[in-house]
Amino acid sequence: MVIYGSNDHMENIIFELKDVHFSYLGKFPALGGVDIKINQGQKISVIGANGTGKSTFLQILDAIIFADQGSVSFCNEQLNEKLFDNEEFSRNFRRKVGFIFQNPDVQLFCPTVKEDIVFGPLQLGFAKEQIQKRLDKLIDALGIQDLLNRPPYQLSIGEKRKVAIASTLIIEPEILILDEPTAGLDPLTTRHIIDLLIQENINGRTIITSTHDLHIVEEISDLVYVFGHQRKIVKSGLAGDILNDTALLTENNLVHIHSHKHKDKTHIHPHLHLDHHGENH
Amino acid sequence: MKNSNFIQRSVIAAPAFLKEIIFSEEIALRSGFLQSLDPRIKSLTFLLLIIQVLLSQSISVLSFFYALCLFLAVISKVKLGFFLKRTWIFIPLFSLFIAIPAVFTLGPAAVSVFVVRVLTCVSYAVLLSITTRHFELLRVLRIFKIPQIFVMTLEMCYRYIYLFVEIIEQTYQAVKSRVGVLAHYKSGQRIAAWNIASLWNRSVKLNEDVYQAMLSRGYHGEAVAWNDFKIKTRDWLWLSTVVMIIWKI
Ligand SMILES: Nc1ncnc2c1ncn2[C@@H]1O[C@H](COP(=O)(O)OP(=O)(O)O)[C@@H](O)[C@H]1O
Ligand SMILES: [Mg+2]
Repeated sequence: MVIYGSNDHMENIIFELKDVHFSYLGKFPALGGVDIKINQGQKISVIGANGTGKSTFLQILDAIIFADQGSVSFCNEQLNEKLFDNEEFSRNFRRKVGFIFQNPDVQLFCPTVKEDIVFGPLQLGFAKEQIQKRLDKLIDALGIQDLLNRPPYQLSIGEKRKVAIASTLIIEPEILILDEPTAGLDPLTTRHIIDLLIQENINGRTIITSTHDLHIVEEISDLVYVFGHQRKIVKSGLAGDILNDTALLTENNLVHIHSHKHKDKTHIHPHLHLDHHGENH
Repeated sequence: MKNSNFIQRSVIAAPAFLKEIIFSEEIALRSGFLQSLDPRIKSLTFLLLIIQVLLSQSISVLSFFYALCLFLAVISKVKLGFFLKRTWIFIPLFSLFIAIPAVFTLGPAAVSVFVVRVLTCVSYAVLLSITTRHFELLRVLRIFKIPQIFVMTLEMCYRYIYLFVEIIEQTYQAVKSRVGVLAHYKSGQRIAAWNIASLWNRSVKLNEDVYQAMLSRGYHGEAVAWNDFKIKTRDWLWLSTVVMIIWKI
């Protein structure tokens, strides 16, 4: 496996996974041997068809589930379930690593949006004035002032996602993990979220995103990891190279063959999701 | 024919009705007297009033408290007709099962005290719940140190009822768009049963996932709550008034 960034020893490795396996309830395989190194300040994305283990992989990084086999280390420390019984370690880790779930209904469990946003920092022992200050800033940045006193489960999907993002960003984690942050969003909201992520990365945060929306891959990643049907990484590389590898993308169900009519002529060509929303279709 | 019509009507009407009575916070958002009080003080005084009502034996004292409750409803911009309908709805049910059998053992006088007492308690409870936003009540419980697990269970129930209502509505619409109308009484039943089973599975899964989401944001056993309630002069005035009334009676 080619590991990018391995030439400069100065880089801080945040996560290092070696041959990680995981299965749900011991019988539904979800990861079949994942190796990866993630450096501080990188923005990376994992792409792959549905069911290739992207969410499971991200949950392992966030240490809400633990590998059955293989090793996961965070800043040179081996992660395991017991380590998180140590409150000090657990609090430190949760302050450093923020996770935005694929399904915002899961992430939003408080009676109001406001309580949901402040939930994390309250648990992590931030001072009240600090929480209030960060809250005000986020409300402005995301334009969610009007939602604060509403129950989250009654919001639209786009609003839910914004709130879910706010509830994690307020912790100001060094590492931000996002599971399909733009799924089901309109182009404008998608744009908004991508811009936010890029800004967070410029501010020095490590950004790890899973997606199967190839439109956004180039902008949100320096490096792209492709998850295949064996539920492991089949290829990694620079965003530009991966996106041009049509054979790879086709083999992994990330593009499909489409026929289109242009002025009464029918064309058949591989359909990259990249040009999916072109207006000339 | 009649059957399927009935099912069809109740399938649409029930969720809408539930949604309206449980989830409408329209009254809680009006600017009336009770709405302007601090939820903690309001809950505390209502608790005191309800305890007092439960302890009173005299019909005139009970009537006084009932009148007070109606007065509070009026100054809180709750329509009297609406309020009476909502509270009296419990009375026939209640009388049927408890009061009427008791007439034979206790006599009519004791029973009427009993009925008025229940009516008054129910009225206070309903008035508190419709003039306070749902999340504020839950927060009050947490601030009053009601065990976390209990409050969370209540919250979960609330979420599930909402989810449940949504699913019924959506399934109904999905079925209708495919079949035209809900074709048959039997299939309606089957769909309802399937829904309940899938709801159960979904809620188990959701619970696990929600727990992970809580862990991910630093939860470790006891959630810390955000308390930004403020007690104002009018809250103290109201509290002392209630204490005075209870004292004098
Ligand atoms: N809670 C679960 N129970 C059983 N199997 C699961 C569960 N979650 C995911 N899986 C299975 O694990 C595999 C990987 O899933 P997931 O990580 O969600 O993939 P992705 O996010 O790439 O769509 C899939 O085959 C899926 O069916
Ligand atoms: Mg997923």
